Amino acid sequence: MKALLAKYGRIWLRTSAMALQAQLTYRLGSFGFLLGKMIRLFFFFAFMAAVFQHVETVAGYSLVETALFFMTFNLIDMTAQILFRCVYGARRTVNEGDFDFYLVQPCSPLFRMTCSTVDFLDVVTIIPVIVMTGMVFARLPPLGWENYAAYGLLMVNGVGLIYAIHILVAALAVRTQELESAIWIYRDVMFMGKFPMDVYAPAVRWALTVGIPIAVMTTFPAKALLGRLSAGWVVYALALTAAALPLSWMFWRASVARYTSSSS
Amino acid sequence: MKTYWVAYQIALQETLQRRSTLIMDRLGGFAVVVSLYSFWTALIGDKATFLGYTRAEMLTYVLALNILRSFVFTGRGWQLVGEISSGRISSYLIRPLSYHGYALALDLAQKTIHVAAAALEVGLLVLCVRGELFLPQDPATWVLFGVAALLSSLLFFFLEFMISSLAFWTSESGGPLFCFELFLQFAAGAFFPLDVLPAALRRALEATPFPYMVYFPVRIFLEKVPPLEGMRMLSMEALWLAAAYAAATTVWKRGMRSYAAEGG
Repeated sequence: MKALLAKYGRIWLRTSAMALQAQLTYRLGSFGFLLGKMIRLFFFFAFMAAVFQHVETVAGYSLVETALFFMTFNLIDMTAQILFRCVYGARRTVNEGDFDFYLVQPCSPLFRMTCSTVDFLDVVTIIPVIVMTGMVFARLPPLGWENYAAYGLLMVNGVGLIYAIHILVAALAVRTQELESAIWIYRDVMFMGKFPMDVYAPAVRWALTVGIPIAVMTTFPAKALLGRLSAGWVVYALALTAAALPLSWMFWRASVARYTSSSS
Repeated sequence: MKTYWVAYQIALQETLQRRSTLIMDRLGGFAVVVSLYSFWTALIGDKATFLGYTRAEMLTYVLALNILRSFVFTGRGWQLVGEISSGRISSYLIRPLSYHGYALALDLAQKTIHVAAAALEVGLLVLCVRGELFLPQDPATWVLFGVAALLSSLLFFFLEFMISSLAFWTSESGGPLFCFELFLQFAAGAFFPLDVLPAALRRALEATPFPYMVYFPVRIFLEKVPPLEGMRMLSMEALWLAAAYAAATTVWKRGMRSYAAEGG
């Protein structure tokens, strides 16, 4: 097991170094993407701050609490983008025949398809997000260690659940050689996690907690930190990820078993 | 003209052929609209107005956003970058047609489908939330809004075309284009009305062409500007459009001179 982890650690470091080199070569492009990400962050934060010049609470949450939801969303979303960026090119990998090479390499094709690229632009972008999250934490009232423990646990759980979705998207690319929009619909639907779930109508809230569990991924950690999430929901979140990961992995295995190579 | 009409019809068929991609695109956009609607509803709460918008006006703003996003922000920028970088644009340059006209025809086909889909989504959301809409009583408002939307769409087309033409000089123009599109969406008021921003920032943005793409057209629709002021806005928008057209064609001509026809 230790040897296996060391092997995948080496592969990840090598492919990450290659990704960094590629992004450093692509300077103007990388700068543009980085600036765009910063602008998005700045405008949303300015928007939140401006809104709270006119109201005291939104759906019962103060400015600091709403900012906590927004920053937690960004932390989880960016972590997933840093680690699982490879999935965004899954359809192209399949269509151009690169996936055939993954299959003959002495390395898990799922690992190659989902984790073998690191988005260093998000590594840079996440730094101000961490600083801003620290500032938000400093303005929260004193909270018990168990709140912080639940926050950390549910953050990790959220990233796990996002990974299950990324496996599903990669499997769909292998199975259908289409559905390149699948990852983008995930990105658009994730937009809903920027706000506390309490702003949504009950039916939408239910859909985002049980149907497409955006709430579990993005807003449960902040709610747990604020002490507004019951133990039952914490158990539900953990059970959901525990079920989603093996199920998506089984779907991946079934998709690869049906794969007959799509390029010449 | 017949050439462009045929191009429009073929592009229309192509867009309709890729139904799964279209449906996923629309689902993603719909999620954003539901988020924004829910957030604004939570902000208004029990208040009669918020930032000078009644509940009906705010709902109309969000729904009009969905239609304007589909009509204005569906350009050909990314395709142009790809075609220049890969050299595929050569095949268009030797044809007896204007590339701008051809791109406009394809863009119009995309807009036709997306605006129709957006109108359906708006109808669905209105039914779901049973909310009251603001509909202008003065027929002149509809005319002014239609003209403003048309000018906005052309303004976006030429601005995006200008940025994408950077691909004639660098293969990294994707970064600046990404940055431009993100900045534009916020600065145009495509996520929230610019009224929410601090006065200084709003005034700075109003001196740019961006608010003319979404914010001002929606204000015209909501009859928040007197007819004379509306005419002044349209004149300014027309001036910006003329400037964007001149800049885009100048950059294009210079780009043509430095184009090296990469690829096969």
